[in-house]
Amino acid sequence: MSVRVQPELRNQLIQFGIGDWNACYHCGTCTAMCPLSEEGFLFPRKKIRLMQMGLKDELEASVEPWLCYYCGDCSTSCPRDANPGELMMSLRRYLTSIYDWTGLSKKFYTSEIWELGFILVFAALVVLSFLVILPSFGINFTRDLTPEGGVKINSFAPIHIVETFDWIMAAIVASLLISNILRMYYKIIWKYGNTKVSLWVHIREFWLLIFNFVVQPKFNKCTDKRYWLSHWFLMSGYTIMFIVIVVYLPWFQTEKILPAWNPQRSLGYYATFGLLFGLFVAIIGRFQKKDIKFQFSHISDWLFLAMLTLTATTGILIHIFRINGMAVATYVSYIAHMAVLVPMILIEVPFSKWSHLAYRPFAVYFQQLKKYAVPR
Amino acid sequence: MNKPEATGIFFYNPAGLLPDPVNYDELLLYSLGFPEVVKTWTYHEFIWNEKSIFKKINENKLERIIIAGLLPGTVKALFSKTMALAGKDPEKVYLASFNDYFTGSSIDADRYKAVLACIIKGVPYEFAGIPDDLPVNPATLVIGAGIAGIQAALEIAYSNNLVYLVEKSGTIGGKMATFDKTFPTLDCAACILTPKMVEVNQHPHIRLMSYSEVREISGLPGNYTVKVLKKARKVNIQTCIGCGTCAEKCPAQAPSEFDAGTTLRKAIYIPFPQAVPNKYLVDAESCIYLKNGKCKACMKACPVPDCINLDEQDSEVSIEVGNIVVATGFKPFDASRMSQFGYGRFPNVLTSLEFERLLNASGPTGGNIHLRSQDKKGNRIFNQASEKPEKIAIIHCVGSRDKNYNKYCSRVCCMYSLKFSHLIVEKLPDAEIFEYFIDMRSFGKGYEEFYERIKEEDVAIIRGKTAKVEEAGNKLFIRGEDILKGEILENVVDMVVLSVGLEAGEDARSISRLLKIPINEDGWFEEAHYNLDPTGTCRGGIFLAGTCQGPKDIPDSVAQGSAAAARVIQSILKGRVRNDVASVSLLQVEEKIKELSSVPI
Repeated sequence: MSVRVQPELRNQLIQFGIGDWNACYHCGTCTAMCPLSEEGFLFPRKKIRLMQMGLKDELEASVEPWLCYYCGDCSTSCPRDANPGELMMSLRRYLTSIYDWTGLSKKFYTSEIWELGFILVFAALVVLSFLVILPSFGINFTRDLTPEGGVKINSFAPIHIVETFDWIMAAIVASLLISNILRMYYKIIWKYGNTKVSLWVHIREFWLLIFNFVVQPKFNKCTDKRYWLSHWFLMSGYTIMFIVIVVYLPWFQTEKILPAWNPQRSLGYYATFGLLFGLFVAIIGRFQKKDIKFQFSHISDWLFLAMLTLTATTGILIHIFRINGMAVATYVSYIAHMAVLVPMILIEVPFSKWSHLAYRPFAVYFQQLKKYAVPR
Repeated sequence: MNKPEATGIFFYNPAGLLPDPVNYDELLLYSLGFPEVVKTWTYHEFIWNEKSIFKKINENKLERIIIAGLLPGTVKALFSKTMALAGKDPEKVYLASFNDYFTGSSIDADRYKAVLACIIKGVPYEFAGIPDDLPVNPATLVIGAGIAGIQAALEIAYSNNLVYLVEKSGTIGGKMATFDKTFPTLDCAACILTPKMVEVNQHPHIRLMSYSEVREISGLPGNYTVKVLKKARKVNIQTCIGCGTCAEKCPAQAPSEFDAGTTLRKAIYIPFPQAVPNKYLVDAESCIYLKNGKCKACMKACPVPDCINLDEQDSEVSIEVGNIVVATGFKPFDASRMSQFGYGRFPNVLTSLEFERLLNASGPTGGNIHLRSQDKKGNRIFNQASEKPEKIAIIHCVGSRDKNYNKYCSRVCCMYSLKFSHLIVEKLPDAEIFEYFIDMRSFGKGYEEFYERIKEEDVAIIRGKTAKVEEAGNKLFIRGEDILKGEILENVVDMVVLSVGLEAGEDARSISRLLKIPINEDGWFEEAHYNLDPTGTCRGGIFLAGTCQGPKDIPDSVAQGSAAAARVIQSILKGRVRNDVASVSLLQVEEKIKELSSVPI
């Protein structure tokens, strides 16, 4: 098969991040510096080479961008200021847009109008449905309180309706994400090279996927170990919240206000703490710009942080207002919460930054599969 | 005289290409004062493409274009092509290059105006902007007695003219004297240099002033008065017989500058056995008497009465010279700045200068390669008792071609690293050698052939610079990417040699202020013209030689030393020396232009 060189690739890629990547003269310092770079999976230099030569197919079939956790060592030690770390970050954004078959991801990454417009439209739809559609189902804004003095949340947002809506959204998001992962698998394992991987290897190595999803051990291999913990708190907080809200909503959103030590509330508190801690570290870091990894924030990074912060704060407000029996304030913050949460999940999970929660562990899994690949 | 042609002036100075010292408003006004000039454009006033230029040419009916600015030649092709497209004469694109004639040195609007006026009027600046000649004193001052300074001094002295050769350290010879072999011929550096050093010492026309520094320079070109500080040597250079009895008795020790710190010398010492002048000197920093007021062991031991005078003070002498050759040389890059390579932390990470001494037969181990160990006092020293390394890695480009340190290429490191490989193969035939390089720059005569020869000598030459050196027990662990093979190379070696680059000498800045010659952002002295006058400066009667002007190898330094000498001898023969570039006023240039342009062609 002939290889087609596409020099215009750099111009496409520059929309996904900032870097003077053509300055690279291939000294190999970055690869040698990187504790995650290993035999057979060399980065960042090799990826810069592919980028410079415009070998699009090779780039799209690489797992390496997902194996990088952006400690920034490569960029600080780069003798040419070519910013290899940021190239890996930009490649992750680029690959996200490549895995996505709808083409929306590319639009969101390269056009701020598209991304902001999408968020605003869906926020408006959510508010509209609360104010116009739901009342037609017989939902009223009663300000009744429970005997304990809490707000009756279920009469405002009935469990069965919210849950149905939850499941529909989860199904859409999951099908998009799964199809993207399948495309990723196709590009990395199926199509690439003249090799195949046996089914047994697929099964045997599957534990890696789960393990890497939960622990992120590769992140902790980075020279800069400070961010592993904050990232883990953020990740675990988010995952708990996500599961609780989507799968166990009837258990979570109860009319009765349970004592603080009850798992329902303590889990919620833990998740909130994890989210806030992780967000705090990330936002402060991106404002201070001390670490390389935080120096080149893309609009999608800021939007993601902003939406997550808004979701968390409105969630906290719902809780406070509810306990204190402030009905109208509870309703308003509930609507606001949903107006941020829905577009965030719709845009971030399948199309944008949040999708790395799936791509990263899958990349580690695929990397392992590649190691056991045999000639076809 | 032809009738004036409609001229447009485009000012070319893309931001970031060069620092912009030009006040454009002033230049615009000035150039519009000429009747030929129809219109002018600054860099940001239009788009630099054919379409836009084409429009400008047609709108203003331009017959002639001048591109003025820093490095305007880079865009000349674009204008020539567009002129042709517009049906005009493509030859009528002229460059007013502000880099030439004084290399951005003087931020002097008048000089730019003069260049512009010359181009507008079609008179070469070389004719209109010539400074006056001044009478010249035949004596010459050479600052720095490395190989370039020695060469310049000898050339001038052999033309029977007086040369003052001022050297900062205790011996002449400079960095070359410390080298073991030269590339690519593998000549013994000392064997070819020391005869020249002796020649300098014995030459009737050379006044050697070692252990001295230039303090003050005044006067006009051709007639400089120079004050030289003679640092107190504390040993009478006339009566010292160089027997060494004093050093035997001296109790104080310090690292030897000549041996790049690999050996210890006494407080009273000669830098190395072949030093010129071969006389002892006292290092005031480490002398016990000068610190505590007690000792004088050397004075008691000296067989010559009143030869050593530890109370001697610095003195100053004043000399009159006509020309000055600056040959102050370089300093090696301080490898401890790149902490990832562990220089200073790990005893067996060496700089190239240290390794050069280690290889040298007069070095710490008599020319045998041994690992560095610690003595009883904790000093890290080389001695013959410690083991020989089995694996040696040589890392190129340390401190060079790196935007975090020096962005330029130091030119010599690739070649001396290859030379190291060869010498190691010679001395330790069983040792494994790894060269980590980025690009192999074997640019000179015979250099590529030398590289080919080393490649056949069982040396692993690996494309890919290592990132860091770590300790692994007694050994050193280095990790690098072999770019051509596409794999990570993890290697445990006994010794790492860092091929450090060249940096401008630490006193380059002060000398630049003293002589009023500019230095560039890296600290190298600016020459008068990059291509056509690499030895001259913007000042009259001051010339450059050797590595003070930019990284250079030995043949180039010698050539430039001779070239500088030729310029000096030229002015002595003529009896006159050209004044500073800045001495010509704009008015003078304008008058000269009038005079020259009235001559019918």
